[in-house]
Amino acid sequence: MDSLRKLYPWFALLGLAVGGLVLAGYYKDEFREWKRWQQEYAAQELNRATTPEQKEQARALPIEIKQIVLPELQRVDRCTTCHLAVEDSSYAGVKQPLAYHPNHARHPFEKFGCTICHQGQGRATEREAAHGRVAHWEHPMLAMKYIEASCAKCHAATDVPRSPLLARGRALFEEQGCIGCHKLGGFGGNLGPELDKVGAKRSPEWLAKHFKSPAELVPGSGMPPVKRSDADVAALTLFMLGQTGERLTEYYVSMKTIPGPDIGQRLFGQKGCIGCHSVGGKGGTVGPALDGVTQRRTTDWIVKHFRDPAAISPESVMPKFNFTESEIRSLASFLGSLTGADVLSFMKIPAQASPVERGRAVYLKYGCGGCHGTSGEGGVPNHNAKSNQQIPPLTAANDLADVFLESFITEGVPEIGKLDPNGPKPPIYMPGFGDKISEGELADLISYLRSLKP
Amino acid sequence: MKSLKQIWLTFAGTRVGQSIFRVGLPESNLGRMQAMVSSFLLHLHPAKVHRHSLQFSYTLGLGLISLYLFLILCITGVALMFFYVPSPEHAYDNMKDLEFVVSAGMIARNMHRWSAHLMVLCVFLHMCRVFYTGGYKPPREFNWIVGVGLFVMTLVLSFTGYLLPWDQLAFWAITVGTNIAGYAPVVGKKIQFLLLGGNIVGESSLLRFYVLHVIVLPAAVVFMIAIHFWRVRKDGGLSRPGEPDVLVQQSETGPLSTSKTYGLMELARGTSPAVGLKPEDEVPVWPHLLFREILLFLATMAVVMFLSVFWNAPLEEFANPTHPPNPAKAPWYFLGLQELVAYSAFWGGVAVPALLLVALVALPYLDHQRVGIGVWFARERRVAVTIFTICVVAAVVLTAIGTYFRGPNWDWVWPWAASAVTPH
Repeated sequence: MDSLRKLYPWFALLGLAVGGLVLAGYYKDEFREWKRWQQEYAAQELNRATTPEQKEQARALPIEIKQIVLPELQRVDRCTTCHLAVEDSSYAGVKQPLAYHPNHARHPFEKFGCTICHQGQGRATEREAAHGRVAHWEHPMLAMKYIEASCAKCHAATDVPRSPLLARGRALFEEQGCIGCHKLGGFGGNLGPELDKVGAKRSPEWLAKHFKSPAELVPGSGMPPVKRSDADVAALTLFMLGQTGERLTEYYVSMKTIPGPDIGQRLFGQKGCIGCHSVGGKGGTVGPALDGVTQRRTTDWIVKHFRDPAAISPESVMPKFNFTESEIRSLASFLGSLTGADVLSFMKIPAQASPVERGRAVYLKYGCGGCHGTSGEGGVPNHNAKSNQQIPPLTAANDLADVFLESFITEGVPEIGKLDPNGPKPPIYMPGFGDKISEGELADLISYLRSLKP
Repeated sequence: MKSLKQIWLTFAGTRVGQSIFRVGLPESNLGRMQAMVSSFLLHLHPAKVHRHSLQFSYTLGLGLISLYLFLILCITGVALMFFYVPSPEHAYDNMKDLEFVVSAGMIARNMHRWSAHLMVLCVFLHMCRVFYTGGYKPPREFNWIVGVGLFVMTLVLSFTGYLLPWDQLAFWAITVGTNIAGYAPVVGKKIQFLLLGGNIVGESSLLRFYVLHVIVLPAAVVFMIAIHFWRVRKDGGLSRPGEPDVLVQQSETGPLSTSKTYGLMELARGTSPAVGLKPEDEVPVWPHLLFREILLFLATMAVVMFLSVFWNAPLEEFANPTHPPNPAKAPWYFLGLQELVAYSAFWGGVAVPALLLVALVALPYLDHQRVGIGVWFARERRVAVTIFTICVVAAVVLTAIGTYFRGPNWDWVWPWAASAVTPH
């Protein structure tokens, strides 16, 4: 029977096809981009080698995937597979990917990896994929102009050296009164969405565009455009990008890593030390005044006292606060820097200030300026609102009785009168602050409102 | 070549070689047939096969291709299991590692993915082939039912595998797919809960789907394939025109006496499937069928490798239960049902699939006249052929609509219209 013979060409053809495809698959798998860079690096090393031992070492460089495994950051960063010279300062100025990474002493690669700051796709070993510029990867590498945003992931307070843009963004966030409508870290209003994870969800382009014309990206949004310079918008964008909601373990939270007077000062305020102790004659009298305490006591005594007050002065009634060691160091260094005169200025609401000054601080704290303007001048557009389609200024507060002002602030104005009765609801309304604001704050705020002149 | 054969013959001639191969390398048709009978692997085949069964235009090789795809899936699947942890924490990262650091990891995943899609397609086409050539008619009714079972198993296998990468595609396809199951009256929600191990797709769903995908279903499929093949031979090989009417006759044997012992031949009833074959119609399986089988394997491999080298299996963003894609689509082979669900949850989710399944199972018992067997689209069967074709066309059209013509909110879109890209 001859019929098989006519199938032989098919056999040859298909055999060759499978063989060829297996080879193609092998080629794709074996000749990866990163191997070329490792060979390039080895060549450079060999080139730079002067002694026979160095030459030997350069020749023995293995071709292998390099990775930094960071379980606490839930990351595996393989960036150093191509970026081989990040720790070698002799590679400063060399073309990427073989360039040196300056300023990494405080953030060693083996503990931080790369993507916690730069973003991108740490597990990838191909250029475009690793840099996150591929479909279905949500965090492309952060442009260098926004890189300070990453500091905010760990550094919650204004204590990051060399991050002026982040500090500016943070200040603008407060000034613009964003928390009047948005919650951040559990504090703020309900009119707009929470911002805790906004940095993980939105791209820099989106954020910047949204600040300038919110309604263009979110149809129906009542958020007023941020009328600031491009640089300020970029700083705000940068601050937002840092709000990723990533939960980092203790090691990475700045308070534990950089003890210093800034942190101590914040703790001093948070823990209410001034309730018992006084500085410069202001504060409580239960405990001793703290002026010059570092002259009276040694640092060692202070540290031990923070750990357990009763252990070192038996009659002390000061509670044991369970500070961490780095918090204790921060507090101690803050006490060393106490000068008395301006010690209370850092408190959220300065105790020695006039009611109007305190009221101004309350105004900023609750983000009133987000809608009513930084100084109560109003003017934020509110579509279809009876009040001239905008949020009214607060300069007329003086004409109203305390009870009215109080009820405005505590209960809000949930229904805003419509300009056109058949038109849509005005997007912005006055929320009630009654469940947040304390009585003293309320009184101060009213004093501030009464001080506003048209 | 000569020397290779020489080496083999020398080895086969040793004590060890003889103990393994028993008949050695056959030199004649008789020897080849002996080899077929004496070798475990080759014994799946008969020693001789009807010429008609070798015609590619008759079978299109679809059953065998399905088997090959299943074997490729088993092998690549086991390879992938070495690198996979069925937990939401790791599954997605495992996919990334397969792509970026595991040697041949991506190609193994690609082969697995494309073979799975192809297998769904080939098993379906195989079913169509058997229908159009009347292959389900007596005596092959039961094997048709086993085949329907294998088709359902193939769908479920593919569906359970769909979840494992734990990306957006997986998460939402399974959410939509299990929602369809939830539309069944009374038990629907219970079944959905049982499948998912909860009310939504989560950690326990992944574990359940994994166990089903790597152990329970493959074992069941292997078992059913064994029955399927066994029945092919017991029912007289592949269907062909001009088969004798009844291959197995129930002959009357009187009550067996207990006072004597019987040999096998005395107990076996009826005639064997070989009855009615004329010697000149048959050819030895070795080499005529075996060669074609190898050829078909090469062709299957070539297609799978081609797809795998040039197109990567998809992997979208990490699964996010709070961020559904619009539209969320089930795996493609369920999109016909999803399209129906868009009109009526009851009809699409319950009635139509249930009716189809019942109709497929009942088919060989309703349509049992032994006419038009072994011929494509036999004239005598035009009613059955027309009804089946309408169903197939409807399924294909609905699936195509669901796949290519449905956009956000399941609204009609033209596939060539550029979709609006929304930044996020």
